Amino acid sequence: MTVIEARDVAVHYGGIKAVDGVDLALEPGRICGLLGPNGSGKSTLLAALTRLVPLTRGTLLLDGAEYQNAAPASLARRGVARTFQTVRLLPDLTVAENVRLGADLRRRAPAGVVDDAIERTGLGDVVRARPGELSYGMSRRVEIARALATSPRLLLLDEPTAGMNQAERQEISELLRRLRDEGLTQLLVEHDVQLMIDTCDDLVAMNFGAVVAHGSPAEVVTDPDVQRAYLGKKWRAHA
Amino acid sequence: MIAWYEANVVLIQSMFISLLLALSIQVPFRAGVFSLAGIGSYGIGAYTAAIVTLQLGWPPFAAIGAGMLLAAVIAYLLALVLARLSGLYLGMATIAYSLILSVAVINGGELTGGAQGLFGAVSDLQTGHVVAVAVAAVVLLALSERGRPGRWIDAVREDPELAVSVGVPVTAIRQLSFVVGGLLGACAGAMNTLLRTTVTPEEVGFHLVVLALTMIIVGGSRSWAGALIGAVVFTWLPTVLAFVGEWQTLVYGVVVAVAAIFVPTGILGLAQDFVRRLRRPALPGGRP
Amino acid sequence: MAQNLLNALTLGSLYLLFALGMSLAWGTIGILNFAHGSIFMFAAFTGHLLVGQVALPLPLVLLIGTAVGAALSVLAQVLAFEPIQRRARDHRRAELQILVGGIGIATIPLAIAQHATKSVPFGFTGSTFQVEVYRLGPVQLTNVQLVILGAAAVLTGVLAWWLRSARTGLALRSIGVDAEVATMMGVNRRGLAVATMAVAGALAGIAGVLLTYYLGSIAAESGDGFLIKAFAAIVLGGIGSIGGAVAGAMILALAETVVLTQTSGMWVDAVSFGLIFAVLVLRPRGLFGRKEVRRT
Repeated sequence: MTVIEARDVAVHYGGIKAVDGVDLALEPGRICGLLGPNGSGKSTLLAALTRLVPLTRGTLLLDGAEYQNAAPASLARRGVARTFQTVRLLPDLTVAENVRLGADLRRRAPAGVVDDAIERTGLGDVVRARPGELSYGMSRRVEIARALATSPRLLLLDEPTAGMNQAERQEISELLRRLRDEGLTQLLVEHDVQLMIDTCDDLVAMNFGAVVAHGSPAEVVTDPDVQRAYLGKKWRAHA
Repeated sequence: MIAWYEANVVLIQSMFISLLLALSIQVPFRAGVFSLAGIGSYGIGAYTAAIVTLQLGWPPFAAIGAGMLLAAVIAYLLALVLARLSGLYLGMATIAYSLILSVAVINGGELTGGAQGLFGAVSDLQTGHVVAVAVAAVVLLALSERGRPGRWIDAVREDPELAVSVGVPVTAIRQLSFVVGGLLGACAGAMNTLLRTTVTPEEVGFHLVVLALTMIIVGGSRSWAGALIGAVVFTWLPTVLAFVGEWQTLVYGVVVAVAAIFVPTGILGLAQDFVRRLRRPALPGGRP
Repeated sequence: MAQNLLNALTLGSLYLLFALGMSLAWGTIGILNFAHGSIFMFAAFTGHLLVGQVALPLPLVLLIGTAVGAALSVLAQVLAFEPIQRRARDHRRAELQILVGGIGIATIPLAIAQHATKSVPFGFTGSTFQVEVYRLGPVQLTNVQLVILGAAAVLTGVLAWWLRSARTGLALRSIGVDAEVATMMGVNRRGLAVATMAVAGALAGIAGVLLTYYLGSIAAESGDGFLIKAFAAIVLGGIGSIGGAVAGAMILALAETVVLTQTSGMWVDAVSFGLIFAVLVLRPRGLFGRKEVRRT
């Protein structure tokens, strides 16, 4: 059984086919990476999966049940959490309160879920700071912590390491793999292909709103279509 | 103290009425809903209370309750009809709604007393009752600014899409802000009518929109405290400005313009910044 | 019937002259100026003061009204609206601050005029201009009406041509579509914004003077009512659209004339409020508005 599934999903804006006929299936307890150049439709697909944009056609399934007509706010309750491509924190709340917003989903959040999210993302020293006082990399961690505070079963991450240095990226990659080992299914959108190879169990490559390749990281990054989309760069596959 | 109170009882009453009116605008603003429908609700409350008192002889709290109930129902319907609008468009639609009501009461015949309004809505509503109601409203609203509801409302205002992604019922909160604004506005209007025993169409015109808006812009729209500051300032300003005589309106205008240009977060915002700066003089390793 | 139509056309032309500048400023540089009505009144008031000293002809009073309107509008732009737009954290906040700032500014000329006139209506009794009435079959037409109709037609035509053809007009329209790109293309936003506000204020001044000649006198408070009516005309036609402003102003004037002549009671003010509400609910971009109208 898949955790989340998209069948022949299309999102058109007028004449622009941002996403056009994408099939995607996430297996439980795995990290699936979504790869593709800017404008290839990754973020739109994420918006479609979280019901922020209406589908032009297609079916969405959560644990096998159709949800393409569900209210977007109901998804968080059903265990779907996400981070955004741009930092979206509430400027007047402290870091701790911003994380707490994730846990507010439940009237009585499980004990320690906020502290746990803060600790795992390495935000312990800045809990009382406000978003305006944080570096960009730190702000991105708060985004992840807030998503974790919703106690999700499925985490959708839109470029979580953008603006971080190499050491920080490594740290986030380790965190994501640890979460995976605890059973959290994830969909990861990133531009850092090396990080994707190191982190993901499966890769899906998109271009022009459609899936051009999918499979293990080694298969996908050596796929000729993918190579062409990324202008012939080569990556090492650890597998 | 007692002498002062007796000399100023009308001003004290109107300060608490103004507070409720300002809150009827501030509550939707806090949720990012630029609705001025609270003014229309004020009119609904004012006229409903007068009518049920005059024609049915209802006791004051029943009359106020009737006005609040009617205003809340209409506010909810308004929230449904105006769901697609936001920002300035929502503001203008709700101003238009409020002004339509003011024309309607002029043309309401015997029911609303036409251009003369209604007289003789005598009741035993006391200043103490008004203060108690205002304090109760402030306590409830203060609670809604803390903890989970506070964070939810902040999220709805600052970033509705983000709010949805963490499961905040954005639409429901927006609708609730309309309804609560309607309840507060109607409560203010009804109590004002019963205290003064009269209501006229001029009372619910464009100037009331301006008053409510200026109170929370000068006071601050983020919290009930801003509405309180605005209500206090604009109730007592005429007394303070007595020496400028006829030029009061001019000074008003300058105060409002200066606040809008230079102090967008209001007096409350200024105070909060000041307190924040006192608490954390400098971050370790911060700028020199 | 024909008389009513002519009167509606005159009223519509006055609404149009008033609304054009407001619509232009709102649709291009994003400023909904709530002091527009006050500027309109104060231009006529200045004319009244001068006419009390010297017997001036109509063209000179119009010129004075134009200059005063433009000057006040530019003053509001430079002292209030521009600083607000420069500092505001986002577009939504700027809009609200501009609205409230405009309301505050509007009070200043209003208070001065109220003080000077003791809220008694004022007119141009000292002007050398004499009203003449022409009879065309069943219809009576005054020379004031002719001036109003002519001014509205000519000024609307010039403005439309300017926006469509002139270089500065094109630059202004580009700001309305995408301010950032326009700046990158070398458009001087600041200068254009001041120019736009000057044009808007001048049109308001002309409308104020002509209305005063038409009615014989206006009151210090006359600006407020016009503001809401102009707003209704703009929303009905579509923000920033010249054709829309024409249609909106004429439809509003016709509807008001019908309500005034066909119904008893005092429902006429509800026409503009009702139009605002209905259009915003049913068709927020108005009859002729651009599709990508910003609703936030």
